Amino acid sequence: MEMKEVIVFEKNEQREITRLVAEAGYLLLHNGVESKVVSDIAHRIGRVLGIENVEIALTASAVIITTRLQGQCLTTIRQCTSHVINMRIVSEVQQICIAAERGELDIAGVHQRLAGIDPPRYNNWLVVVMIGIACAAFCRLAGGTAEICGLTFLASSIGMIVRQTLVRNTFNALITFGVTAFITSLISGLGLMFQMGDNAFLAMASSVLMLVPGFPLINSVSDMLKGYVTMGISRWTTATLLTLVTSMGIVGAMQILGVWGVWL
Amino acid sequence: MVIIEMLQQSIAASPLFFNLLEKTLLATLPALGFGMMFNVPPQTLKYCAMGAASGYGARFLLLHWGLDIEWASLFAAMMIGAMGVFWSQQTLSHPKVFTVAAVIPMIPGVYGFKAMIALVEINRSGYTPELWAGTLDNLIHACFIIAALAVGLAMPGLLIYRHKPVV
Repeated sequence: MEMKEVIVFEKNEQREITRLVAEAGYLLLHNGVESKVVSDIAHRIGRVLGIENVEIALTASAVIITTRLQGQCLTTIRQCTSHVINMRIVSEVQQICIAAERGELDIAGVHQRLAGIDPPRYNNWLVVVMIGIACAAFCRLAGGTAEICGLTFLASSIGMIVRQTLVRNTFNALITFGVTAFITSLISGLGLMFQMGDNAFLAMASSVLMLVPGFPLINSVSDMLKGYVTMGISRWTTATLLTLVTSMGIVGAMQILGVWGVWL
Repeated sequence: MVIIEMLQQSIAASPLFFNLLEKTLLATLPALGFGMMFNVPPQTLKYCAMGAASGYGARFLLLHWGLDIEWASLFAAMMIGAMGVFWSQQTLSHPKVFTVAAVIPMIPGVYGFKAMIALVEINRSGYTPELWAGTLDNLIHACFIIAALAVGLAMPGLLIYRHKPVV
């Protein structure tokens, strides 16, 4: 839909470039990279395509871009209400920017490359197994025994399957995190219920570590550090809410299993 | 708290080198798992693993030598950030593409969850000084470590690449 409109206005170069800058900014913001990078790369793409000045404002739910060419300003807003993490898209947008700066891509080339971004994801089952292994490794790092690590692997793998299913069915992120934490803790809490040794608690603690919102947290602090304070606050709030619903999922599972209080 | 105590106990129990080796190897696994979840480009997965191993290993050693966990995290993240700049110039990807996955093993998730669970418990059973102390302790600890990690990662940009982009 978007692309059709771009073709109609192909004669109007500034409009086309503005749309490309907005598209690049949207892709970067939507796929979870910090604000400084969104702003920098959007600037660079605009400048290399021949715009005199590019100004960018970021909010948690939109990218606002103004370009100036020969005294004429154009402003456009792209909405960006959902955030995911896909580093391959970030990497590809960056490579398009670098290719344009090296003179390998003109406006049409950037348009074509940006429209063609659709990188594959890792196989879902591979990710399930790797996240299971990751949480088992957390458990081992904290000093868990082999059977506790095994339980962690089981709980996290099943949790990851639940999470992927919910994400695929486009559930709200908060609901996804809460339900995943609940089911993961139900399974990993079995170790405490059946008293699988002194450190059975570690299975509960480690198996939900796959739900730590590491990317929003790191991005939040980076943003605040680099002057994007409102973006930092909104990311921090997102991360806090995700942690809170995860905790509520854990609490629900603890109440059902009757192992209340081990986390305190 | 549990993780730190366990860490301290295991330091006391076994020879340093094998302990270090085990920790560094174990730390690569979460980095790979989270790297796949973040869909990092396949050719940079090895940098996630190498960054995590060296960062976690460095933090382990610094903790062993008696540094506070916040400072140890800061220096470890600075190391990962510096290596990330080097690798990013080879792969033409921004360092954040793989350095965030590399610091994931060091993110204090358990503190964060403990703080929030204590909050939920205050709501359920009412205020006690112990619960509130638990919330604040864990929350502040988590905040400081996360801030240290993020600032450490940003350090090359803050000190050296102030006016030009990394790639």
